[in-house]
Amino acid sequence: MNMDKERFSQHISRGFNEELESLRNEVLRMGGMVENHLDIAIEAIVAGDSKMGLAVAGRDHEINQMEVAIDEQCSQILATRGPAATDLRLIVAVIKTITDLERVGDEAQRIGYLASHLASSQQHSDHYHELSELGEHVKKMLHEALDAFSRLDVKDALQVVEEDKLVDEEYDMILRQCISLMMEDPRTIRRFMDVSWVARALERIGDHAKNISEYVIYMVHGQDIRHLGLEEIRQEIGVE
Amino acid sequence: MQKIWIHFFLLHAAALLGGGVIGALYGQTLIGLLIVLAGLLAWHILQLFRLERWLLTGESIDLPDGNGVWPRAFARIQFIQDRARQNRRNWRSLIKELRASAKAFPDGGIILNPNHEIINYNKAARQLLGLKKKRDMGQRIDNLIRHPAFVAYLESGKRRDSVEIPGLVGADTWLSCRIIPYGPDQRLLLVRDITQSVMLERMRSDFVANASHELRTPLTVISGYLDTLSDDAELPDAWAGPIQDMRQQAERMNLLVNDLLELSRLESSEPGSMDKSVDMAALLRAVQNEMLVIDERPQTVELQLDSEAKLLGEEAEIRSIAANLVFNALRYTTKDGRVDIRWRVDDKGGHLSVKDTGVGIAAEDIPRLTERFFRADSGRDRRQGGTGLGLAIVKHALKRHDGELEIRSKLGEGSTFICHFPLTRLLVGE
Repeated sequence: MNMDKERFSQHISRGFNEELESLRNEVLRMGGMVENHLDIAIEAIVAGDSKMGLAVAGRDHEINQMEVAIDEQCSQILATRGPAATDLRLIVAVIKTITDLERVGDEAQRIGYLASHLASSQQHSDHYHELSELGEHVKKMLHEALDAFSRLDVKDALQVVEEDKLVDEEYDMILRQCISLMMEDPRTIRRFMDVSWVARALERIGDHAKNISEYVIYMVHGQDIRHLGLEEIRQEIGVE
Repeated sequence: MQKIWIHFFLLHAAALLGGGVIGALYGQTLIGLLIVLAGLLAWHILQLFRLERWLLTGESIDLPDGNGVWPRAFARIQFIQDRARQNRRNWRSLIKELRASAKAFPDGGIILNPNHEIINYNKAARQLLGLKKKRDMGQRIDNLIRHPAFVAYLESGKRRDSVEIPGLVGADTWLSCRIIPYGPDQRLLLVRDITQSVMLERMRSDFVANASHELRTPLTVISGYLDTLSDDAELPDAWAGPIQDMRQQAERMNLLVNDLLELSRLESSEPGSMDKSVDMAALLRAVQNEMLVIDERPQTVELQLDSEAKLLGEEAEIRSIAANLVFNALRYTTKDGRVDIRWRVDDKGGHLSVKDTGVGIAAEDIPRLTERFFRADSGRDRRQGGTGLGLAIVKHALKRHDGELEIRSKLGEGSTFICHFPLTRLLVGE
């Protein structure tokens, strides 16, 4: 990582360095906000707090604004500096990362709305326990993906890619549970539809975290590893 | 000149003289002198060679004995080296001790440069924040601690208070972060695990909320029966007084439970929303009318509206702030006094003030006024009514609207309670 970090800071023009560095910081700041929203949304589900859910859903525009601002910053750098090699990869990765982050924000918004819906319409259900576990898992993945982004750490990024499988399994499990409970008592269908929507949103967030990790690997190694199996990825970038 | 040097010159002179004399015996004085000179030079070169080797390789050698110039130089160098080695050993052990103490420190410490980049950190910081050895040196701290509250704190430059954020390692942990500037533009970031105290605080407020809820149900039953009993015509007259008293006390308890619930809700829920606007003029007029209904009150209750500005926040909470302040003012002001309610806006923000000409508050009591159940004068206040929670509710509701409460008072002259709201909470000219 040190090598790469130095590569970023080796330009003759100091202004360019500062622009790249500030770009990275902005992305991570946006990431922090997204993490925060996700945190509150999950909390709203678990605590059954409809106000909290609506509050976080209403704050999604903050994330959208940041995405637009960072996008603008990227185009400016592309237009004025004509970056090459690592710098270009950084900017490409940033543009993709913020799209994924923005989508995570949207999913958090959706969870917020669903939380308010679930809280106001039904009594507390013990299925929130599974949701909260999945939520914690996804939160951790997003956190690690952003950590990998800030450290340019390929190993950690790979780990997030691996973890996505577990999240998918957990999602499947919740879905199966929901279906069997719906069959038992059709009156609960509405509620469990909402629960499965929340699980779906969380699973999507896991996918976005995986994407962000893939961009990190692309940024460091210059290799596009999307749609490859784990084994192929390892071979491609030579990490055991 | 030092004795050793005199000795040195005498020795050389004697050697030269000897060489000269022996040379003269053979009739070759010059050659004799030259041979002696060459011998002396060779000896000095040898010493110089040994010195250079010794310093270069650092191997220990047999130091030349005696007390000539060369042995003394060797001995001196040896001495300096020994001392330096000793010093180095001392420093090393001192640094080791310091490191060990930094390591044993239970709070995380991170040294930051002015760009918020990590220069160094201790073991606790590594564990609390999940930092990676060496790799995170030079990384910006806000790239790793990304919580918006922390980023805002880092950029605000406020160095007195601390900020509380959820922990980065493990679910449901809490950290308290504090930045202490020291030296020329270096900062120390102190991180402390406050999970325990946060949990304790949560347990406490949960307990209060649950207990209040549990109290409410029996209370409803009691008040219900008391209401029925008071209407019962068959009951002996002697019971009318006690039942009336019981009804009053039950009503008081009801208010108390409501206030406790309100307070615990204010404490535990998210801050007030920013997207609803509260029409202060209408709200204050309504509060004033409510208060005018009360029989025992000061003659004048004036409302002065200097601004039409609206406030962003929760209407019910703002109303509760205004109502509590005005109600307090009425309670502590005699019939011939007056109460002034005022809403004004300046370049610092919005200000809601409630001024009375009542009994006033002693200076030493002012800081404690917003504590729960605190009473400035315990003897008198009981019969004034009120739950003792009003100002605590005001304080918490204000805090949720980024506001501050200012209390000015003098015993016997009356008090002024002012709520300051920041400009960001105001909606002017709509």
